[in-house]
Amino acid sequence: MIVIGLGSPFLTDDSVGPRVVRELVRQGCDGVRLVESHAGGMLLLEELAGTRRAVIVDALVDVRREPGEVVVSGVENHSRNASCGHDCTLTQALAMGRAMGLSLPANEHIHLVAITAGDVTTFSEQLTAPVQAALVGACSAVREILAGDFQSGQREMS
Amino acid sequence: MKQRITIDPITRLEGHGKIEIFLDDAGNVSSAYFQVPELRGFESFCVGRQAEEMPNITNRICGVCPEAHHMAAIKAVERAFGLECLPAARRIRELIYMAFFVTDHTTHFYCLGGPDFIVGPDAPPAERNILGVIRKVGLDVGQQVIACRKRNHDLIKRLGGRGIHLCGALPGGWAVPLTADMRQDFRQTARENVDFAQFSLTVFADVVLGNPLYHDMLLSDLYRNETHSMGTVNADFAPDFYDGTIRVVDTVGNQVTMYESQDYLEHLAEHVEPWSYLKFPYLKQFGWKGFVDGQESGIYQATPLARLNVADRMATPLAQAEYEHFFETFEARGTGPHGRNLPVHHRLATHWARLIELLQAAERMVELLDHPDICDPNVRGKVEPRAGVGVGCVEAPRGTLFHHYETDERGQLKKVNMIVGTTNNNAPISLSIMKAATGLIKGGVFNDGILNRVEMAFRLYDPCCSCATHALGKAPLELSLRRSDGSLLDRITRD
Repeated sequence: MIVIGLGSPFLTDDSVGPRVVRELVRQGCDGVRLVESHAGGMLLLEELAGTRRAVIVDALVDVRREPGEVVVSGVENHSRNASCGHDCTLTQALAMGRAMGLSLPANEHIHLVAITAGDVTTFSEQLTAPVQAALVGACSAVREILAGDFQSGQREMS
Repeated sequence: MKQRITIDPITRLEGHGKIEIFLDDAGNVSSAYFQVPELRGFESFCVGRQAEEMPNITNRICGVCPEAHHMAAIKAVERAFGLECLPAARRIRELIYMAFFVTDHTTHFYCLGGPDFIVGPDAPPAERNILGVIRKVGLDVGQQVIACRKRNHDLIKRLGGRGIHLCGALPGGWAVPLTADMRQDFRQTARENVDFAQFSLTVFADVVLGNPLYHDMLLSDLYRNETHSMGTVNADFAPDFYDGTIRVVDTVGNQVTMYESQDYLEHLAEHVEPWSYLKFPYLKQFGWKGFVDGQESGIYQATPLARLNVADRMATPLAQAEYEHFFETFEARGTGPHGRNLPVHHRLATHWARLIELLQAAERMVELLDHPDICDPNVRGKVEPRAGVGVGCVEAPRGTLFHHYETDERGQLKKVNMIVGTTNNNAPISLSIMKAATGLIKGGVFNDGILNRVEMAFRLYDPCCSCATHALGKAPLELSLRRSDGSLLDRITRD
């Protein structure tokens, strides 16, 4: 099992993925590999190889949602961070890895926990207030998935 | 009525970028621009921090070239503190940097630049990717790409502390020495890299040089721009990706200048345009003459092609043989001033140059691992922060990278400036897009294949403008036609 916090720790709300991972490290998360990453695509493939279940935590830019809103979805709706403009999307990377015979989690065992961001273009280590407030909920969402308690549709994207 | 075509975001480019193409009343191209969005407040974010934090901050600016920022940053810190890097630590850094070069150039060829040739420039966009490459040339290629990335990332992780965003650089040294066991493993890595680089050059020869259509594209005027070239060379005037002296040659191959990285501001200046946040560096000696190429223009390129143009030879034997073949193909070998090679200006040749660099980087890893002192455990030195100014410079895979810091007596940063590889190439990218668009879009007629051929004109630069803008769902390529008043005429979106 792996939890990957995606994003730059220095770009305001883009850091929310790594921040969630750090919080999980602080709380303790037995049997789970916790990783920070600022790149997706094939690099994510390499992190996912050999795991059976994965949670990707990332910032979400979506003007239709309020900053701080937490959404959970499947890998088909992966964020652009989960892609790497330098190689490929996460979907393509997974397809490539499976074609190569790598041991990878099935799509239904890869969850995305996304936190709607307010600002991802200003250099800062501080989250905006709504995203800071969402950290607890995001950690809970990850833990629910880890515990196998996540029920499909509970927080699915509309 | 003027029309505007927008390609936003550009497919298969790191970060979010946008191409704007303006058409005149006849539907022909009147202007074309490459734009990237702004990130705010980097300098103020850094000022006041300890300088030695910079290698671990700047390596997270970009998800693609963290190793380049890590190395440029530590070199700038050392210059500011008046430190020399210990010899074994310097070799470890270069070894890691060559492993990074191998993975980065590999990824670009097989995932970004190569699909245009291997799958075809007119293939559906959904096919022009690494999966399309595998379908075309077989699973074995995909396995080799993954294996190449894995073995080099393993090296970076074992020596750099982390596979993603390494953290091994210390002022004056490196965090850990190379052990004998590591050396044994990494020798195998290096040898496999050499084999893989040669295999990749064979693929290029078969797929591109062996195909009359692509061979003609390579030599066509559509993708040709005459600019000056800049790159780092060693004492033998061979490309040096980690360290050396910066050399500039003009459009016909004369050496314009050689300078140490700390003197970059004496040679480079930056032009500003109101439509772009990204500045346009140019050579001071020639001045800014606008978006024009030619001998009188101040525009230069800093790319794999530029690095071959400024060099007199490659640093390793197998790469040297490929280098000679390269210039012979363009009838440029030894035909320039003083028996030097004529610079090659066919921009699609950058893909070939990148593979020759890949081979040099792999061979260099073998050399470094054979050095008798590379396992010297003395890799950490004493550090005394001080007030100073330091410029650190490396050749990032996509161009020359400068970090420029000023520290106070406590070693805290007072000023920070950077010129990254893609910024160096900002003006030539615009030139190349303009030329390709002008030649390909006539009478307002265009389609996916034509737009992809325009994209090929900038993709060859391997630009990187990581900006962390993202949204759930796929990143579409959006093409908008607008009237001169900005109202929308038509919009095409493709995944």
